[in-house]
Amino acid sequence: MKKIRIIPRLDIKGSNVVKGIHCEGLRIVGNPKDLACKYYKEGADELLCMDVVASLYQRNLDFNLLKSFSDGIFVPITVGGGIRSTNDINSALRAGADKVAINTYAIKNPQFLNEAVKKFGSQCIVLSIEAKKRPDGGWEAYTDGGREKTGIDAVQWSKKAIKLGVGEIILTSIDHDGIRKGYDIELISAISSFSPVPLIVHGGADSPDSFLDVLKKCRPEGLSAASVFHYGDFSIKDIKKHLFNKGFPIRYEL
Amino acid sequence: MSPIKSRKKLKSSEVKYGLPSEVVFCKRCIISNQRPNSTVEFKNTKEDKKETIAFGRDGICDACRYAEYKDTQIDWKLREKELIKLCDKHRSKNGYYDCIVPGSGGKDSAFTAHVLKYKYGMNPLTVTWSPHLYTDIGQKNFTSWIHKGGFDNILFTPNGRVHRLLTKYAFENLLHPFQPFVIGQRNIGPKFAILYKTPLIFYGENQAEYGNNIKDNDAPTMKESFFAQNTTLENLFLGGVSAKSLISKDKISLNDLNPYIPAPYKEIKKLGVQVHYLGYYLKWDPQECYYYASKNTGFQVNTERTEGSYSKYSSIDDKIDPFHYYTLLIKFGIGRATNDAVQEIRNKKITREEGVALVHRYDQEFPQKYFKEFLEYIDLAEDKFWKLINSGRSPHLWKKEKGEWKLKHIVK
Amino acid sequence: MNYKNKKNIAIVDYGVGNLHSLTKALGHFGQNVFITEDADEIRVADAIVMPGVGAFKSGMEGLKIRGLVNTVKDFSKTGKPVLGICLGAQLLMSEGYEFGKLKGLNIIPGKVVPFGKIKEKVPHIGWNEIYPATKMGWSKTLFELIRPNIDVYFVHSYMFKPKDRKNILALTKYGNFEFCSAIKKGNIYGCQFHPEKSGELGLKIIGNFIKLI
Repeated sequence: MKKIRIIPRLDIKGSNVVKGIHCEGLRIVGNPKDLACKYYKEGADELLCMDVVASLYQRNLDFNLLKSFSDGIFVPITVGGGIRSTNDINSALRAGADKVAINTYAIKNPQFLNEAVKKFGSQCIVLSIEAKKRPDGGWEAYTDGGREKTGIDAVQWSKKAIKLGVGEIILTSIDHDGIRKGYDIELISAISSFSPVPLIVHGGADSPDSFLDVLKKCRPEGLSAASVFHYGDFSIKDIKKHLFNKGFPIRYEL
Repeated sequence: MSPIKSRKKLKSSEVKYGLPSEVVFCKRCIISNQRPNSTVEFKNTKEDKKETIAFGRDGICDACRYAEYKDTQIDWKLREKELIKLCDKHRSKNGYYDCIVPGSGGKDSAFTAHVLKYKYGMNPLTVTWSPHLYTDIGQKNFTSWIHKGGFDNILFTPNGRVHRLLTKYAFENLLHPFQPFVIGQRNIGPKFAILYKTPLIFYGENQAEYGNNIKDNDAPTMKESFFAQNTTLENLFLGGVSAKSLISKDKISLNDLNPYIPAPYKEIKKLGVQVHYLGYYLKWDPQECYYYASKNTGFQVNTERTEGSYSKYSSIDDKIDPFHYYTLLIKFGIGRATNDAVQEIRNKKITREEGVALVHRYDQEFPQKYFKEFLEYIDLAEDKFWKLINSGRSPHLWKKEKGEWKLKHIVK
Repeated sequence: MNYKNKKNIAIVDYGVGNLHSLTKALGHFGQNVFITEDADEIRVADAIVMPGVGAFKSGMEGLKIRGLVNTVKDFSKTGKPVLGICLGAQLLMSEGYEFGKLKGLNIIPGKVVPFGKIKEKVPHIGWNEIYPATKMGWSKTLFELIRPNIDVYFVHSYMFKPKDRKNILALTKYGNFEFCSAIKKGNIYGCQFHPEKSGELGLKIIGNFIKLI
């Protein structure tokens, strides 16, 4: 049976792992190599590594850094941040990425997704969405690390990207990011209710029960979290044990 | 490396505001030597020459020098002990207020009030000088500060008509629309201190950290001349015009002046009012203030980045604020992104290179969002706005190229 | 370890693939692992690995441009071990149906087809269990001493459909749908999943491959 994935997320700036709140703030919480290693040993099913300033500073993510910390990590790594060309995707894959997440460039150039899918296959191209609730309903998609409005409806955009062939979606709730008050169930349901491709959700995890809650209500394929792991609220193993004991399909050894 | 030498000696008429004629950028943080120091606002007139940030021969600015000093030379444990001593001296024993914390509920005042109350056991009365025009997020954060953070608060809103008029004059005469706000904000702490007989006032950080006279950082307190004066109608300047002149021209009346008159020396001395900077006692880090405020007072960032910058949490409560920064860009060639970036470079959140990328991308962005509202607020036609803006550009900073204004010097 | 005793394992670079991960996983066992698109280097290697991220069409084109189609085919006839991973394994088959009908390397007869109309989400991404196709189990194969029903990492939209059932080495259930997750023909192996991304158990599989050399 296919298992639900627990995916720690490393937001990277320069040579550090940082963690913001509502996608703002660059507080250093650790070192990519140490954290990647730690989470791998604790049983992470996958790692999500996003350069959160690449688009903002209009530069590329550091492929050399990626190479250095992806050593010794024998679970999949999805990498994102400043991906703007098929060359970038190729460089990322050669540096240790298994999947590549794209946001800013794809929103501005949706056909790029199709181009990337044709070259690398759907299963390698992940759509990253940063969504913020609109005051009058619905959610707006943001770019550049949650800083630039696009005027584009996040749900509609996800549908379009699926048609263009993306194999997976990573959905980040800007409203719930970093505040540890639970996942954004409303946002997640809006996409999980129709998405024919796997969905990984991020933003707001606080307790083992918040993981349980989102699984019960929306059943995403992957649960990503950052603050709770980086700040040591609990470990990946704790989460997996909790979900396993509650009868969910989790890769977990007793 | 010696500062950039200009190719020709500039005539004094080509350099406005008494600024240095050569433009130099700090090698560490990207601020330029055109950055003006803080002024005593109620003495500010059009003819004033600006004092600017000092640079060393090594091309490093005083603010960076201070940041290094902050990091390496200050014994923060000792400084905290001084704070505790100060708090012990003033802490209320009968439930009355023991300090005044002026602020708006932004990240800095949120941090200041909260840490004083909940860590150091003080009983602050928070006082707020109203923004000219509240933004939604500003209002939200202000409310959250009081209701989630948990503070008594007095919100003082000046007569809107007078305030608008003074803003208009400040813009037209000084290209400084924020002046009425700054005056009021500096006055409010001491005036409520006197009213409530609570002499201890806490601000967050000392503006000296950003480049005022570096020696100003050595003291925990604000110079009295910044918030106290024996003012007369002749020596009180609002919007660049003397109060006497404003009254004689029937623009405002004597009754309208109260919020803008600083506390008199006599009362300040009698009560022993002191304005302390919390940033003297606790190592100030605006980003950490954000995290703290987010956690403890429900502070929320703006939904989008601020126009002219990349930040989502810096100074987001007043619709006039973007025009304050825009006029800084026009007068000194320094935009909002520069202001936000230099502080983050000094606090080691971003590198100089990253700061440069942000400045290139955002510094000159025009604040379109509230432009119409701003013009309405100061009752000014758009063409007059641009006429004033363009006349405020110093020739040593700006040039016209193919009908467009361009900065002569941009940091690299 | 004596350098002379190290095996030479060539990772075939045909333009797409997560080469770094694979190099690290194979390198974990102290062998001489190198990435190459040189036909001569591939020919003399002790074993080859066909890596696995990309589309069938790009994969075949990548091999053709580099003149490696026959190189790989010839190598497969030598009896030296071959490991195909995901796309790399799919290319070993006769035909692929991603973006139209395309010829594969035809080393293991069969087709590569899409999942078709199944209830589950496509691509199949995540950890899922592999188990033996027959009661014979996995003795003397790539999965020797691997416990059945271990979780390994899948990420694919297309699957193997070998012509001969004997070539089916492992099966996996995705929802109610069962498909072939590993193929074998002599010393030629193809894994639909990624052993180099399947944690410590995946590394064991890679270790087993090296033992075949």
